[in-house]
Amino acid sequence: MMNRKLIDRLQILSISLIWLLFTGIAVWILNLIKESLRLHDAPDASLGISLVAIPVFFTLSSVLTYVFIGLRKGRKKDVES
Amino acid sequence: MENAPAAPHPEYDLLRPIENPGKSFYYIVAVLLVIILYTGYVYIRQVYYGLGVTGMAQPVTWGFYIVNFVFFIGISHAGTLISAILRLSKAEWRRPITRMAEVITAIVLAIGGLHPILDLGRPDRMTHLFYNGRLQSPLLWDIVSITAYFTASTVYLYIPMIPDIAILRDRGVKPRWLYEFLSWGWQGTEQQHKVLDRAMNVLMVVVIPIAVSVHTIISYIFAMTVQPGWHSTIFGPYFVVGAIFSGIAAILVLMIVFRKVFHLERYLKLIHFNYLSVLLLVMSLLWFYFTFSEYLTSYYGNEPNEMRVFWYKFRGAFAPYFWTMVTCNFLLPLILLSNRKTRTIPGILIASISVIIGMWLERLIIVVPSLANPRLPYPTGIYIPSHTEWMLFLGGVSVFILGYMMFARFFPVISIWEIQEGRQESAKAVTERITSYMPDPEPRYTGSMENE
Repeated sequence: MMNRKLIDRLQILSISLIWLLFTGIAVWILNLIKESLRLHDAPDASLGISLVAIPVFFTLSSVLTYVFIGLRKGRKKDVES
Repeated sequence: MENAPAAPHPEYDLLRPIENPGKSFYYIVAVLLVIILYTGYVYIRQVYYGLGVTGMAQPVTWGFYIVNFVFFIGISHAGTLISAILRLSKAEWRRPITRMAEVITAIVLAIGGLHPILDLGRPDRMTHLFYNGRLQSPLLWDIVSITAYFTASTVYLYIPMIPDIAILRDRGVKPRWLYEFLSWGWQGTEQQHKVLDRAMNVLMVVVIPIAVSVHTIISYIFAMTVQPGWHSTIFGPYFVVGAIFSGIAAILVLMIVFRKVFHLERYLKLIHFNYLSVLLLVMSLLWFYFTFSEYLTSYYGNEPNEMRVFWYKFRGAFAPYFWTMVTCNFLLPLILLSNRKTRTIPGILIASISVIIGMWLERLIIVVPSLANPRLPYPTGIYIPSHTEWMLFLGGVSVFILGYMMFARFFPVISIWEIQEGRQESAKAVTERITSYMPDPEPRYTGSMENE
């Protein structure tokens, strides 16, 4: 059976990786906007799409983080203490 | 604890596939792995020799891969979207269905999303999207929306699974470290339930527009061109309706298979099939309405290029596929599902399989005829899919079956805690809800007749 501490660390690592992934997507989208501005290639459309897309990814990662932290805080020993 | 026999569980039927998968599971997995490995070989051969090994050529440059891409993404609407609508509308009969549906979404989206890469002769050029992508291209909108939908669907599938994963952890089911890791210390406290409920409420609202946007954007790949047969303002809703239609059919087929194989008659009752099949019938009528509107406007406009594509479908080379599609998507479901005597499990199974075939044909009819009849002075194109394309289609279906079987091997396909919660709280909650929206009883008449 795996060590409790190791599982805790893996769980924290997984949250960090989720944030890394979604931040990476956001950086990629911002880079595409920069490119469209540089080339004067319909930057308004690009901005419009990214204004929708980026918050969606961050909402998802926020919900996941809220659940993971909430479940850990909601454990019996934490509630009782 | 780890090696101790697990105590009997009231929902043991749902845990049996995980704790005792049986030999047949391994035989089926072996057969599927052989098919998938051969498909991998066929794909590597395609990458090596190029797209010349497919049936695609000028002017028909999109074939099975794009058809399957649209088809698989359509099927993915089965899960998260339908589940979110049922949860949001507090339909209590949803409880044994939602997870089965959500798993379809996660697996099928992953398969469908890879199909545009299969369609590339140089798949390595996908990396160009990362530094030279153009956000104003509908193809890039697709990548963003499919990624968002895949992520949202996976999160939406996983979060309500946590209490069930904790049941498996507490029963000492192996691999225990996996259940320990995925259960996030779930103990079923009131605070943990609150956190789960809040997160699900947010996800339900977020996931519906994302799901609708995915298939709308897929339709834009076609509709944003000025190609005859594609340039249509109703393509967005038409694709969404088709996607939900095929998705419901896929859920019904899976429910019937799982009910039979795992003896889940106690959970998947006739009433569930009845409700979903009525929904399938409604979607069939909606699909027919959209199809009729789409073709009537083309016919009435009588634009020469548009009419070439139109007659190619109605009485040309694609007529057998077109009329089979109409039979499969409209006539057969209408006959079988509108009659109570034929709305039985076998009848629903036939209608659902018929819809899946019909919707695949619909995607074929949308993609190929418009390309086979170009406006430029080319002769009419011919498209005959090659062994490579058939094999990759079969491989995709095998990956889906394997993915679903693997999921069912490690996790319950029906939500245990939601079933238990339903038994304990649903009747009271439904009674309270009905009481809240029913008119109050007439106040007792106390006044005199003279006042009237």
